[in-house]
Amino acid sequence: MTNLKLAALNGDKQRRTVIAVGHVKIGMDFVVIAGPCSVESEEQTIRTAQKVKAAGANMLRGGAFKPRTSPYDFQGLGLKGLKILEKAKKETGLPVVTEVTDPRDVSWVCEYADVLQIGTRNMQNFSLLKEVGKVEKPVLLKRGMYSTLKEWLNCAEYILAEGNPNVILCERGIRTFETYTRNTLDLSIVPSVKEISHLPIIVDPSHGTGRLSIIEPMSLAAMAAGADGIIIEVHYNPSEAMCDKDQAMPPEMFASLMRRLQALRIHMNDVNGIH
Amino acid sequence: MNLETIRKNIDQLDSEILKLLKDRMEQVLLTKKFKSQIDDNEREKEVLERITKNSTGLINADFIEKIYIEIIKESKNLQQKDWQLIAFQGEHGAYGEVASRIWNSAFVPIPCREFAWVFDGVQNGLYDYGIVPVENTLGGVVGQVNELLINTDLNFVGAVELPIHLCLLALPETDHREIHSVYSHPQALAQCRHFLARNKLDPVQYHDTAGAAKMLTEKRPKASAAIASKLSAELYNLEILKENIEDLDRNLTRFIVISKEENKEAGDKCSIIFSTEHKAGTLFRVLEVFAKKNINLTRIESIPDEPGEYAFFLDFIGSRNDEKVVKALEKVKEITRKFRLMGCYKERKIA
Repeated sequence: MTNLKLAALNGDKQRRTVIAVGHVKIGMDFVVIAGPCSVESEEQTIRTAQKVKAAGANMLRGGAFKPRTSPYDFQGLGLKGLKILEKAKKETGLPVVTEVTDPRDVSWVCEYADVLQIGTRNMQNFSLLKEVGKVEKPVLLKRGMYSTLKEWLNCAEYILAEGNPNVILCERGIRTFETYTRNTLDLSIVPSVKEISHLPIIVDPSHGTGRLSIIEPMSLAAMAAGADGIIIEVHYNPSEAMCDKDQAMPPEMFASLMRRLQALRIHMNDVNGIH
Repeated sequence: MNLETIRKNIDQLDSEILKLLKDRMEQVLLTKKFKSQIDDNEREKEVLERITKNSTGLINADFIEKIYIEIIKESKNLQQKDWQLIAFQGEHGAYGEVASRIWNSAFVPIPCREFAWVFDGVQNGLYDYGIVPVENTLGGVVGQVNELLINTDLNFVGAVELPIHLCLLALPETDHREIHSVYSHPQALAQCRHFLARNKLDPVQYHDTAGAAKMLTEKRPKASAAIASKLSAELYNLEILKENIEDLDRNLTRFIVISKEENKEAGDKCSIIFSTEHKAGTLFRVLEVFAKKNINLTRIESIPDEPGEYAFFLDFIGSRNDEKVVKALEKVKEITRKFRLMGCYKERKIA
């Protein structure tokens, strides 16, 4: 990793990047980001936001600009979606994480969102990385589905080199020969990142598995592996979801996951000798 | 061109037709002030003849006559009711109109091009009330209005303190990524300087905020947006790209409601105007009266009147039924020139 100047752990191994968003400190607290895959309507987004807030989530996710595999799939509500997210934030107080796909949208998304997300398909979209490197909002950089750790950290380096120090890495599963799960969630990347970089890393078990029944165990595993948080797709009524229906978690299941995470956290603090 | 675009055009035309009808009804209400009775058969005939004569092509005479008979019927219905008209400066959607709706949503706001027209219209009885801005936290005193207030006989009957929230508006078909010019009043543009810079937008000066919104709808310039009120978005069928784009959120404008009649309620705030002799300590002695009676002053403004002369505006907390206010005003009247109690009224503040 010789090319890494800003993303690498240099000198003081204890110095870790901590990013304050709303009331949470990413890189210090265990942060839970939850919400719908895409913003479909005001009602769907606000109802889901209220549910995840009640269950204890720290931030709201929701896509307004959706990069979809097929051009005929729902492409997101665009600016209208951003306005809905702003309203949901006003109602719940949850900071908003949303994806930006086009360099021309970066400044607009900044007007509405608290954290900009770069999706897996855009991880190596260098003009987009440079653009988000110029703004002040933190960037959640998802791992490309075919990317090595080195390639991924070099993409973070692009953002850091433009002057934005607030990059959060997000493991979301990679392509392997396995077909039972949508992707293979690579949890070994969590301690690997911690060995060579000071950047916080969170885990997306929703996309990482694509299977509702596996999201909870992998969320707990992410915490045990030392991740700084998780990002979960929740829909107040998954059967109505316009995208990624099979991995959308109903609110009751999410609330139960939050309770188990809380229990594990106490245990992990004990294991790690943190009191 | 596809069905969706054509339907958008139709929606736009409908909103224009609706707006024109509203404008027409406003004019109809104004005519009432000049007529002794509502019915005027001669005029009705004239309107119908003119409109049927001009109908060509797709609009046949019978059809348009039927529509106009309905319009005239509704106009007469409206005239029968006792509407209170309140004049404001600017186009529909201006912050003066926003303030008037807050003051009393049952009043009918009527736009005037100049502040002087608001004063003249209220004086002549064309409008029952006027609403004018006197000061703004960022822009300071509204000079033109204060000059008009010096010499008016009209009374203050209310006040509204309005937070000014600016919105970025665009035509529904405009792609936000393509916008580069933003039209608005220079003061509104200045208040959004950082927002415009962040989004690489060029400010273009226009005489009025609501006027800029109206211009977008009428001229439909490409790659353009306007900064104006939320009300303007509703009135001109524009899309709000972003609300509250002002750089600072402590932007308030204070509006005064003026009327020919004195205020019937006691109110909790009073405004006076006076000038003083050119002698040492004359202004001090006026202020001393209020200090001794323990009356809280909320605004003092001096406006140049005749060369070398100043008019002082003074607002304070109190009502005309207050014994100490009555005594203080008697005393102030003795020691000043051109003294006038502009009015005691209630001030409405928006949280």
